[in-house]
Amino acid sequence: MKITMAHGSGGESTSELIADIFEKSFNDPVLSKMEDSAVLPGAGRIAVTTDSFVVTPLFFPGGDIGRLCVCGTVNDLLMSGADPEYLTCGFILEEGADTEDLRKIAVSMSRTAREAGVRIVAGDTKVVEGSGGVYINTAGVGFVPDGINVGASNCREGDAVLLSGSLGDHHAAILSKRMGIENTIVSDCAPLVGMVDAMKRSGVRIHAMRDVTRGGLATILNEFASAAVCRIGLDESKIPVSPQVRGFCGILGLDPLDMGNEGKMVAVVAPEDAERAVGCMRKSRYGKNAAVIGRVEAEGESAVLLKTPIGGTRVVGPLYGEGLPRIC
Amino acid sequence: MTDVRPFLKNYDGPPVRLMEVCGTHTAAISKNGIARMLSPAIRLISGPGCPVCVTVTAYIDRLVELSLRPGTVVLTFGDLMRVPGGRMSLNDAKAAGGNVRMVYSPMDALRLAESDPKNTYVFAAVGFETTSAVYAALLEDAESERIGNLKLLTSLKIMPPVIDWVCRNQGGVDGFIAPGHVSVITGCKIYQPLAERYGIPFVVAGFEGGQLLDAIYALVKLRGRPRVMNLYPSAVRENGNEEARRAIRRYFEPCAAAWRGMGTIPGSGLMLRKEYSRFDAGSAGLDEDCNFSPGCLCAKVLTGAISPADCPRFGRLCTPQTPQGACMVSQEGSCYNYYISGRGSK
Amino acid sequence: MCVALPGKVLKIDGRRATVDFSGNTVEADAGLVPVKPGDNVLVHAGCILQVLSQNENDSLRSLFRELEEL
Repeated sequence: MKITMAHGSGGESTSELIADIFEKSFNDPVLSKMEDSAVLPGAGRIAVTTDSFVVTPLFFPGGDIGRLCVCGTVNDLLMSGADPEYLTCGFILEEGADTEDLRKIAVSMSRTAREAGVRIVAGDTKVVEGSGGVYINTAGVGFVPDGINVGASNCREGDAVLLSGSLGDHHAAILSKRMGIENTIVSDCAPLVGMVDAMKRSGVRIHAMRDVTRGGLATILNEFASAAVCRIGLDESKIPVSPQVRGFCGILGLDPLDMGNEGKMVAVVAPEDAERAVGCMRKSRYGKNAAVIGRVEAEGESAVLLKTPIGGTRVVGPLYGEGLPRIC
Repeated sequence: MTDVRPFLKNYDGPPVRLMEVCGTHTAAISKNGIARMLSPAIRLISGPGCPVCVTVTAYIDRLVELSLRPGTVVLTFGDLMRVPGGRMSLNDAKAAGGNVRMVYSPMDALRLAESDPKNTYVFAAVGFETTSAVYAALLEDAESERIGNLKLLTSLKIMPPVIDWVCRNQGGVDGFIAPGHVSVITGCKIYQPLAERYGIPFVVAGFEGGQLLDAIYALVKLRGRPRVMNLYPSAVRENGNEEARRAIRRYFEPCAAAWRGMGTIPGSGLMLRKEYSRFDAGSAGLDEDCNFSPGCLCAKVLTGAISPADCPRFGRLCTPQTPQGACMVSQEGSCYNYYISGRGSK
Repeated sequence: MCVALPGKVLKIDGRRATVDFSGNTVEADAGLVPVKPGDNVLVHAGCILQVLSQNENDSLRSLFRELEEL
């Protein structure tokens, strides 16, 4: 079968492709857990992850591909409970790419790495025929402290579900330029190190974490519900969405729950720690709109349900189909 | 204003079956999770309100053919791209090298056609009265800007004849949630003859959760009465938008149209008038409808004869990820909305 | 397919209107309805279909009263 755009959306099609081809061929038990990074024994436990960035345009309101490729990989390490330490980066440049742009990208990467407390320690560059495109792969290494055990299957009945801020900002920022819709939405691209550190230092018992990227909140919560076999109940009126992003979604018929961010996370925490966790998020640089958006209501069935503002209930499924191309 | 929610939850009067005939209403009902707020004595059925779902396969086949023709670009709304024709969908055609582009507004077609005079741009013009007004505005602009490489392949439908068809051939509907934005164009008087002929109420509803609940409440209260009530007065005037209707009449005239699940219904469609045939990409005679997937029951779901959950493939073979028919493909399709709102399961 | 959104007209230029939707600005066709800056309008597929009227609460209230008496 041919690869279609849907395979890159981050939703169901991507999961199937990964399971059918890569997981089967590589046949590795840690890979099969499908967490955001692979946590391995070694000197302590090493977390390893990789991600590629193909966003266009390269420079967008609120960020650029450089900031994005550092944040994306740093956040993936964080979400598995690791303290991020090192990044590698591989560049594939199409003929015609501008060296001044590359410099700006590199400076942005360096600045973001400093903010996140990581070092870029290895790299590679290739050039291919084309028309000026820039693609970056970053691999990240971190270390998981003893006693930390974070994973989707750890969600338990009663756990609180937290969201660190408003949905859809990155996705809307990229798409606005493409669709010719003028607004002041900026990408929320950011490293979540400060927020996660604060929660850990406060002793918040974090059972699962994931950053909200392509596929949106809907896809992530369905992954949690599936891995832990639990029913997650959400309250739509508690889910933060900025009025501009909501208006944007209205124009294009999009659902904020399906849209990608690059600086927001979901945390499933022990219920007694929920208030403290939200406090940590809100005090941190990128979490001022953090909120408790739901609870793990029951174990034994896998579902995500949403209470609507008028008091109705509906099921939230993962993103089906293509989503939108090349937003990260 | 009254909070109608307790009344709707606790209603224990005679069973009431209500039908919405606007795909956007179907989507709004599911997005708001309304079905689970109603007493079991109030049943909501989705009718033929999704213009993409009722479009026959011959139309898709012609679009596919056009997209594969050198020098022709097909422009379409996103929803139509995944709908299967007799052989392929437009998405399949695109993967096979066909020229298909998704747009958010027909007005985008003007700029695209103008900037590329070597190619012919064909807009997949589906929709009801609401969108027909936009196509008319598009043609007005195309005429005044003398754009000669823009055409329409039309599959335009109008509401009253299909509502009449459902009442005559199926029955069992105690009231209609009348379309909101179609009524902006047509006004709400057009439902009066239908209300009187079949002795049932029509309530024009807006698209917010509260407005839909109000309309359902009104229909239950008005059961058995031939009344038309407008609960969306901010947008719907009694006489609708006369300028829009004038524009539609200028370019289009009524014709028979083929509807999936219902066959050809006289006077239920719109086609380009002869004097504007230069804008027509060959819309006549696209009547055939073949089942993309034998055993697909979309035709029965569309008319409200069965509920999506009654289809043996629903939720098993046929899901939004693996759709077998238009009702599951389209974001306004009954099956898609039932699935995503959990109406088909406990 | 009949998705339409309420927005506010910022300015008009012949047949084109600039419409604001909660901070998003979009161009829409204003050929079917006479509009002026400041109007709240309904936009469908890039075209203004209606000027929204703001004072309908009274008519809605009297309709509800009628329903309650049934």
